[in-house]
Amino acid sequence: MSAQNQQKTCLVTIGATASFAALVEAVLDPTFLSGLEANNYTHLLIQYGQDGQQLFDASLQRSLQSNTPSSLQISGFPIDTSGLKSHLLLAKGHANPSATPGVVISHAGSGTILDCLRISVPLIVVPNSELLDNHQVELAEALAEQEYVVHGRLEDLTGALGEVEQIRERIEGKKWPPVNSGVHREARGLKGVLNEEMGWLD
Amino acid sequence: MASASSVRFTLTYLIFAFTCFLAIVSLILVRLSIILSPHRLKPSELNRAGSAHLLIVLGSGGHTAEMVAMLERAVNEDETTRRFEWKRFKHRTWVVSSGDSISAQRARAFEDMASGNGTTASGSQRQRAQILTVPRAREIHQPIYTAPISSLRCLFATFGLLLGCSRSGRDFPDIILCNGPATATIIVFTAVLLRFFNVRNCHSRGKMRTVYVESWARVKKLSLSGNLLEGVADRFVVQWPQLAKGGRGSREFLGVLV
Repeated sequence: MSAQNQQKTCLVTIGATASFAALVEAVLDPTFLSGLEANNYTHLLIQYGQDGQQLFDASLQRSLQSNTPSSLQISGFPIDTSGLKSHLLLAKGHANPSATPGVVISHAGSGTILDCLRISVPLIVVPNSELLDNHQVELAEALAEQEYVVHGRLEDLTGALGEVEQIRERIEGKKWPPVNSGVHREARGLKGVLNEEMGWLD
Repeated sequence: MASASSVRFTLTYLIFAFTCFLAIVSLILVRLSIILSPHRLKPSELNRAGSAHLLIVLGSGGHTAEMVAMLERAVNEDETTRRFEWKRFKHRTWVVSSGDSISAQRARAFEDMASGNGTTASGSQRQRAQILTVPRAREIHQPIYTAPISSLRCLFATFGLLLGCSRSGRDFPDIILCNGPATATIIVFTAVLLRFFNVRNCHSRGKMRTVYVESWARVKKLSLSGNLLEGVADRFVVQWPQLAKGGRGSREFLGVLV
């Protein structure tokens, strides 16, 4: 089977708490859509949040008008109360035998990042600069430095797609949680803290 | 003559008032240093471990996700030295903010996973876990100047919640485990206040030790909750080595916990 026929999904998620209009707009931009096609993606699935339906429809309309007809299948949903797990597995390429691993593009929320790290699906983290303080950038940078994720910027998401393909194998080979080394190998983690606080000696 | 004596009287009065003030302040400080000392007696040393009670504070979104991820990891560790036996806490109280049905759902799912095991004990085990609700301390985009009002409302509810625990068969929690949401900060301060006045002997019985785990999302700087609780919580755990270096020496880095 040729690479073109394999299902390859890009999942975009903005999370459940805050809205992130700039990310929804950026991933429906014609340049980004052609970037997806250039990297053999067949599906684009967008979780756009509770109040994102209008924005999603409008942005989709706009890019469909300006773009030449493409084979990329674009769909969206506001929020899935049963969790993101099944969608992440879709991006992971576990949907059917003919599927190939894709990518997740996410806001920098720690919950979503953790979910992705645990199933080792390649992840582009895009911090939301509109939020109260920008500690999310620090997390994205620190994780990108250790090659757990790719730190994406709204202006150049297409570049981030290429970066994912370059380090895909290394990302997919990573395990979470990381193996503790040095002094922390002996540390008993949360259990140690709770036992010590209770005065339980074991 | 009269004016001189009135000056002397005023002066004496002022000195007296000032001395009283100093005495009260130092008494408060002494009391605080006693109740905040992490070296105070621990629950098991007071022979109360048979009915150990853990209170977990869930925030919303990322805070809940991190708390549940940390607990899931602790109870599912491969190595027995690191694996935490959930049922060792006979009572579990989960605190969620009003309207946050996702967090309540995650708490229930965790309890089913960690204490269910498909055995006959699962029904009674689940009853030992309760999920309680308090009004939200601060909405995510709420302006900062209205935060005191909603925080105060949350504070009253928290008092009710902890006192309610103590009046029920569960007693006060032995440990309050939390990460960064505003609600958690308020619960910790409520616990300190209750210990300050030794309400229902909570301090002398070693109740309400507090464990704060800074969000994994905080790499270089503490969160607002972290800043408020450093030195107040009995244990202050951070999850990035570069964050452990700062502060007043009470920050612990034990590896990533989520």
